[in-house]
Amino acid sequence: MEENKLKFSRRQFMGLLGTAVAGTAMMGMVGCSGGGSEKKGDGKAASGDKAADSITYSLTADPRALDPAYFDDGESAVVSCNIYEGLYGFAEKNAEVKPLLATELPEISDDGLTYTIKLREGVKFHDGTDFNADAVKTSIERLLEPNRNSDQPYASFVFGEEAANSGVKTVEAVDATTVKITMRAANTSFLKNLAMALASPIVSPKAIEAASAGSAITTPCGTGPYKFVDWTKSASVTLEANEDYWDKDNAPKTKNIIFKIIAEGNTRITSLLNGECDIISSVDPSSANQITDGGYELFSEDGMTINYMAFNTDEGGICADKEVRKAIAQAINVEEMVSAIYGEYASVANSVMPLWMAPYDKDVKQTAYDPDAAKATLAAKGVTKLACITYSTARPYNAKGGVELANMVQGYLSKVGVDVEITQYDWTTYKSKVQTDPYDICFYGWTGDNGDPDNFMNLPADSNRSMNVAHWDNEEYKALIAKGIATPDGDERDAIYKQCEEMMAEEQPWLLISHSKNLLGYSPKVKGFYYHPTGVAFFKGVSKEA
Amino acid sequence: MSKKTVLATQGAAGEVTNSQAQQPVEKRESIWKDVLDGIVSNKAALVSAIFILLLALIAIVTKLVPGILPYDPYEQNLAESVQGPSAAHWFGTDIQGRDIFSRVLVGTQITLVVGLAAVAISLTVGVLLGAIAGYKGGKWDTVIMRIMDMMLAIPSILLAIAIMAALGQGIEKAVVAIGLVAIPEYARIVRSEILAIKENDYVAAARVIGDSNFAIVFRHVLPNALPSIIVRATLGISSAILDCAALGFLGLGVQPPDAEWGDMLGRGRNELFRAPWLMIFPGLAITLTVLAFNLLGDGIRDGLDPKSRKR
Amino acid sequence: MLKYILKRILMVIPVLLGVTIIIFFITRVLASDPAPVVLGEHATAEAMAAWRADYGLDDPIWMQYVNFLVSAIQGDLGTSYYTHTPVASELAARFPATAELALCAIIVASICGIALGVLAAVKKNKLADNASMVLALIGVSMPVFWSGILLILLFSATLHILPSSGRVTPLLQPTGGTGFFIFDTIAKGDFEALGDVLVHLVLPTVTLSLYSMAIITRMTRSSMLETLNADYIRTARAKGLAKRSVNVKHALRNAMLPVSTVIGLQLGSLLGGALLTETVFAWPGIGKFAVDCVLKSDFPVVQGVVLLVAVIFVFMNLLVDIIYAWLDPRIKYGAKEEG
Repeated sequence: MEENKLKFSRRQFMGLLGTAVAGTAMMGMVGCSGGGSEKKGDGKAASGDKAADSITYSLTADPRALDPAYFDDGESAVVSCNIYEGLYGFAEKNAEVKPLLATELPEISDDGLTYTIKLREGVKFHDGTDFNADAVKTSIERLLEPNRNSDQPYASFVFGEEAANSGVKTVEAVDATTVKITMRAANTSFLKNLAMALASPIVSPKAIEAASAGSAITTPCGTGPYKFVDWTKSASVTLEANEDYWDKDNAPKTKNIIFKIIAEGNTRITSLLNGECDIISSVDPSSANQITDGGYELFSEDGMTINYMAFNTDEGGICADKEVRKAIAQAINVEEMVSAIYGEYASVANSVMPLWMAPYDKDVKQTAYDPDAAKATLAAKGVTKLACITYSTARPYNAKGGVELANMVQGYLSKVGVDVEITQYDWTTYKSKVQTDPYDICFYGWTGDNGDPDNFMNLPADSNRSMNVAHWDNEEYKALIAKGIATPDGDERDAIYKQCEEMMAEEQPWLLISHSKNLLGYSPKVKGFYYHPTGVAFFKGVSKEA
Repeated sequence: MSKKTVLATQGAAGEVTNSQAQQPVEKRESIWKDVLDGIVSNKAALVSAIFILLLALIAIVTKLVPGILPYDPYEQNLAESVQGPSAAHWFGTDIQGRDIFSRVLVGTQITLVVGLAAVAISLTVGVLLGAIAGYKGGKWDTVIMRIMDMMLAIPSILLAIAIMAALGQGIEKAVVAIGLVAIPEYARIVRSEILAIKENDYVAAARVIGDSNFAIVFRHVLPNALPSIIVRATLGISSAILDCAALGFLGLGVQPPDAEWGDMLGRGRNELFRAPWLMIFPGLAITLTVLAFNLLGDGIRDGLDPKSRKR
Repeated sequence: MLKYILKRILMVIPVLLGVTIIIFFITRVLASDPAPVVLGEHATAEAMAAWRADYGLDDPIWMQYVNFLVSAIQGDLGTSYYTHTPVASELAARFPATAELALCAIIVASICGIALGVLAAVKKNKLADNASMVLALIGVSMPVFWSGILLILLFSATLHILPSSGRVTPLLQPTGGTGFFIFDTIAKGDFEALGDVLVHLVLPTVTLSLYSMAIITRMTRSSMLETLNADYIRTARAKGLAKRSVNVKHALRNAMLPVSTVIGLQLGSLLGGALLTETVFAWPGIGKFAVDCVLKSDFPVVQGVVLLVAVIFVFMNLLVDIIYAWLDPRIKYGAKEEG
């Protein structure tokens, strides 16, 4: 009896299941065929009205935050630099500082401690709030101690620290259009820092007030040519033209700018070829031909980067000995390696700074390739084994990731009788491992923030082991760096940094590898696009033909 | 059901016609004989078995006599960087100028070891736990299956990645991670098989005769679950190979310069447009190997299930 | 039956506790200090100490666990180390994408899988059987990321008929709805957007369902064959019932037992596969997000993702178990079955 009852209900269930399955199958088919047949008309419709006045740009990852105080990544910078503006900005194609929300370059006192800045009048934030000296004060003060918090990665870099007696002491609003900044010590790169897309741009005080204390604002609001519309996590960020933009000569020419997040390099290329994106970033050098063959434009300009291998110079290590470092450098054919990995899209590095940044560096002499001499020295020194760590993730200065480099260095050194043991980590893990792992050689690099030589040359003098991965501790070099930061731009300063470059070549804490090119692909319909060497893209002058 | 039909049932499962069919020794022999029959009588399975043996042979020979390979699979030669397939390099070369054909051959070592070792771990532990849970029932069942549920509730790849992110990389860790995360699947399958057959008369009869629980499980219950376990284990080897490839694809695979197919495929995808062979040959190698294990499993299955075998 | 269901629901609690312990152990005991990873290149020792204090990471581990559990019960899963937004809202923003994709994939996989499996078993060794099995074998043998990339290469990069990335053309995206775009666009009557959403779903759904479909096909076929050979089917045939009605009425019902288990299990592998599929198709779901967060030691997010997936998965299993018990009357619902 019980059996029968159950049977009945089971039979009912199977019937139900069958109906449900059939129903969903039909819906699925209808859905698919509907989707399929609609597609063609759909694509046209999209490009006909809604998409005609929009440009889609691919990012490789989600922005970390859309608040200049709270990010240190290129993805956030590319989006934010179109929403926010600083008092100063860079020239269109280089790192020359230009006034933006300020009317002219600041008046700097002779001791380099006081900056008096005149502000532009009649500018409004996207939320209608007036831009004035109080807004500047609010924006900067949240990055100064004691308001500063540990989630503001560039605060101490730009605005200094009390403990180190560096950076900004006070910000005063003299009147509605004048701001006075008082420094603790003179710093030649401060003005360039104010022009960066990180930390410095001015944010609407109303938005800051609305955000919970100590965290990023959630409704991005600046004075820039584009207004924030929507951020769908992991999918896209949508911006809309700011009709009331103060700079009428550079008013936005495209209604919507869409940033689409696509992590995979191949998917990015496909999305360009398939018309889903108009501009794609971080093109792998090996796919460059695919873009030009498909009738698309390739953007390829020198970046502000250095890609290098560092020797661990800690006392007692194999590479504490300068001759060993030189011999290892001799064993590696940097030119052949750079050409195999990056083809024509990177140049062999002859200096720490890219040549366009510091043309005086072209006469620096780096160690030449000489495997026989290397083999002899290394044998004499008894070097047979090296521990190497590297990163697996693509970086702005190395679009291929560090594994190919490590593999090739392993290949070269095996030919001079040295075994290299490679350990690889993803980038974020790697950043902590360079401080803790007992490596002999490691791979690293740097993207310039502001075009100042100190921003590059300070790295091997930094006390932070994750910045100075060679753990190099050279008093003479550090003295030069300290002198350089306090010296105003000019021949005297250039001479100091040239001396730094020569010391780097002679002492060999690093083996310089390459300066990369920024590689992007874009549709020929896009006009006026330029990728700035500091790693951002300004869309105010960019348009797209229908 | 009477005792007579019990014997008939067993006869059907094992294709043994004599009246001693329930004797464990003969039964087990007949299962493995059927496995062999299944392979031999099914062309696809036979080809697959030969293919797998060939892979094993390649793995052993390249391990013992590396000189037999056309090129040193690890030696860098930048003069021949990224060349298409040719008479000299059948599968082309990678960015370091290494011969892909030699690397694919050497890759059999890691692939087979990962597949077999991971399945050995999950099979042993999973069958044991599933058998205990299903047969003992009650608290045993509750505790074991709850632990299985906990593990199942975390997607295996995510769990494996978390374990490897915490412990660091290495193929041994990948084997352990892949093996551990697959345990619950075997446990659940074995348990459900056992639940479905343990109330059968012949098991009850064995109890009446006075066989110990252990003996009942191993003589009467497990052999009946064996076809499902074998089908699952062949799929398990494929899943293990695929999981390993997935870890390689995500950049968590072997250490350079070791050759592992998933790792080669993962790296090759960056060159997809310039050098598709970097991705196609390792991908084919994975697919064919996995395919071979699946076809072999099918053959074995048909062998164990004579009613469905083609005659 | 009701008592059995209640008992099973109560059993869910220790499972979820166990999951939190496993993931807490991995992320906070086995893994190394997240401070240098999170704070990056400009961090000082003091900044790192302050940061650890901010996130309560210098408390004893048991206290961290208790704090986590207490807030989690109140719906607070902590704050991401990187985005500084509550984990719950990060997940809420991404989960619908994964759920929509996984649901489409499991529906497609189940329908096609069961249909092909039954066909193959009934037409054993005929063309239909061989074709289904070849399809199933290919599906189960290809790495999901490989088939995904090959599909993109064919349909997007070469034929240009299907989009390769994302859920929808951003300007057509429905706003403010449930996040399930099929539902949202229908609710709004925006059929242009619905078409766009469906078109974006095609390749990821096919890629993701391929493996599960193959497994379901194989399992359906093999358990159909098993039941077709069972005594009672032969008896039914002997009694003179038509072959077709025997197949459908008896075999399918019994064959559904292991198949239902497999479909339940496939949800887990679908979520795992989603992680790779989402990577290839730039699909804005929790799968890819979770991997990234594991790799950058964003523990609050990892814990949140694992907990969310575990909750869904555990309740899905519960459902499968209940259906299973219902389908197979031989399973008793109490503990008294022991004997």
